[in-house]
Amino acid sequence: MNKAIIEVNGLAAGYVKGLNILQGIDLVIKEKEIISIIGPNGAGKSTLLKAIMGLIPISGGRLYINGNELANFKSHELIKKGIGYVPQVANVFPSLTIEENLEIGLWTNTKNSKEGKKEIFEMFPILFEKKREKAGNLSGGQRQLLALGRALITKPDVLLLDEPSAGLSPIAIDEVFNSINEINNKGVSILLVEQNAKRALSFCDRGYVLDQGKNSYTGTGRDLLDDPNVIDLYLGKL
Amino acid sequence: MIEQLGNGLLLGLIVAIASVSLSLLYGVTRIVNFAHGEIIALGAVLTLFFSSSPESSFLYLDRFSPLGSSFIVSSIASILLCGVFGALLELCLFRPLRKNNYGNVAVLVITIGLSIFLRHIFLLFASARPASYALDLQKREDYFGIQLTPRNVQVLIIGSVVMILVGLFLSYTKTGRAMRAVRDSSELASVSGINSDYIITLTWVFSSMLAGFTGIIQGVINNVRWNMGFLILLLIFAGSILGGIGTSFGAMFGGFIIGMLVQLSVGLSFMDGHTEAKNAIALALMILILLIRPQGIFGSKERIS
Ligand SMILES: Nc1ncnc2c1ncn2[C@@H]1O[C@H](COP(=O)(O)OP(=O)(O)OP(=O)(O)O)[C@@H](O)[C@H]1O
Ligand SMILES: [Mg+2]
Repeated sequence: MNKAIIEVNGLAAGYVKGLNILQGIDLVIKEKEIISIIGPNGAGKSTLLKAIMGLIPISGGRLYINGNELANFKSHELIKKGIGYVPQVANVFPSLTIEENLEIGLWTNTKNSKEGKKEIFEMFPILFEKKREKAGNLSGGQRQLLALGRALITKPDVLLLDEPSAGLSPIAIDEVFNSINEINNKGVSILLVEQNAKRALSFCDRGYVLDQGKNSYTGTGRDLLDDPNVIDLYLGKL
Repeated sequence: MIEQLGNGLLLGLIVAIASVSLSLLYGVTRIVNFAHGEIIALGAVLTLFFSSSPESSFLYLDRFSPLGSSFIVSSIASILLCGVFGALLELCLFRPLRKNNYGNVAVLVITIGLSIFLRHIFLLFASARPASYALDLQKREDYFGIQLTPRNVQVLIIGSVVMILVGLFLSYTKTGRAMRAVRDSSELASVSGINSDYIITLTWVFSSMLAGFTGIIQGVINNVRWNMGFLILLLIFAGSILGGIGTSFGAMFGGFIIGMLVQLSVGLSFMDGHTEAKNAIALALMILILLIRPQGIFGSKERIS
């Protein structure tokens, strides 16, 4: 059995005191796994990732990284613990160049800065071509690749991705999914939040369906795809 | 108008450096700091206190007599103290406000209060009389048709070097890059492994030291007054906005243009005897440019992805 990298038990959190958007979420991400989280708009998917990353106050429940409980942690400390995160929006620094965006990811680890950049540029040649351009001038798809690169350069054990394919053309979506697969093949666990539920569920090892801040269904991707309730509520008639 | 060129360069330089420090602070912390002028004045007043001869009694409270140190040592000490003061403002005031999610307007009002408070402390200690540093008087000379004292020329050179160093620092150092990253998004910087609070504190220190430096050169060129920072604050805001708030290069450029224009307009014939109105023309021009380019000359429309 692979060991858990992130474990969330009964997590409650919200943006303002006394108003919990997440009302007791349970979730496990194990080594080398791809898991996906689906659910309707406003279900709390992005909020869950923000809570794990320490960007919003947690009011209840427990969070473990590699078996150690985290309490009162700061966002920037999670990078050293091997967690990478690509937010849904504002996921690049628009006024910095492509190269500078990647260098920001190297803040905690300057030792292998040349190597790190080289790896990312090999993986995404388009970023190398445009390395001196401002990230704000990139297309949506190129931005997603840069955001992935910025998170990957920290050498995370697990990568939290919030709708990396949102707003992209079918070809760009394929590219992003291929990159995610490639990253996973190198041993990085993936937590993927996706609107395209069918694609996400057929892609992942396990899936979670969130609704109104609670887990509503959990299972392997295959099982969820075949579950009549999930089809009814989230996937639509096939 | 040409006879104002020398003064125009000097005021342009002062406003340019001050605009860079204001706009960097705004960019990184999102605080519109009305007390920035008082940090400028702090640099000038501290230098006056450190460098004036112990017998001179410019201080309102005669309990304190000046230290009589050399001007260079006094300036360096003052700039460092301005940095410490900036750090204290962040740690004791603005960080707690930020952690408690005070709104931008509330913080703005607090900076106005802080400005008034500090200004009157200066009035109390340094008196309302303009004072000058203990530097020997120099005559203006002709430099390529521009009338300046040798000390003015030194100020122009040192000021330009400082601006270039600031530009290099922001562009090429790891810390400068982190400041620009936090300016774009402090959340994204945090989840990239940067301690945003640390970078914000550094920005306060850096920006306050630059402000103090501005105050000292303003004191050298003109004189030291309790409200000197407040008087120039409007021009600094104008310069930052004109260049495009949040861009350091833009602020530098905008500040320089505003300072130049203000001083050059003194030379216009219809301004004879009305030099008090010298800000009007520059500010009218600023409004005109912003009507055409609301994002400022160098600001980009798209700031957030
Ligand atoms: N910054 C915020 N401040 C206050 N409430 C917020 C904030 N962001 C989101 N919310 C609220 O939290 C709830 C969950 O939002 P969240 O963004 O987590 O949904 P989501 O599942 O990611 O949806 P989507 O699929 O549209 O991205 C929503 O009701 C939303 O209104
Ligand atoms: Mg979302």
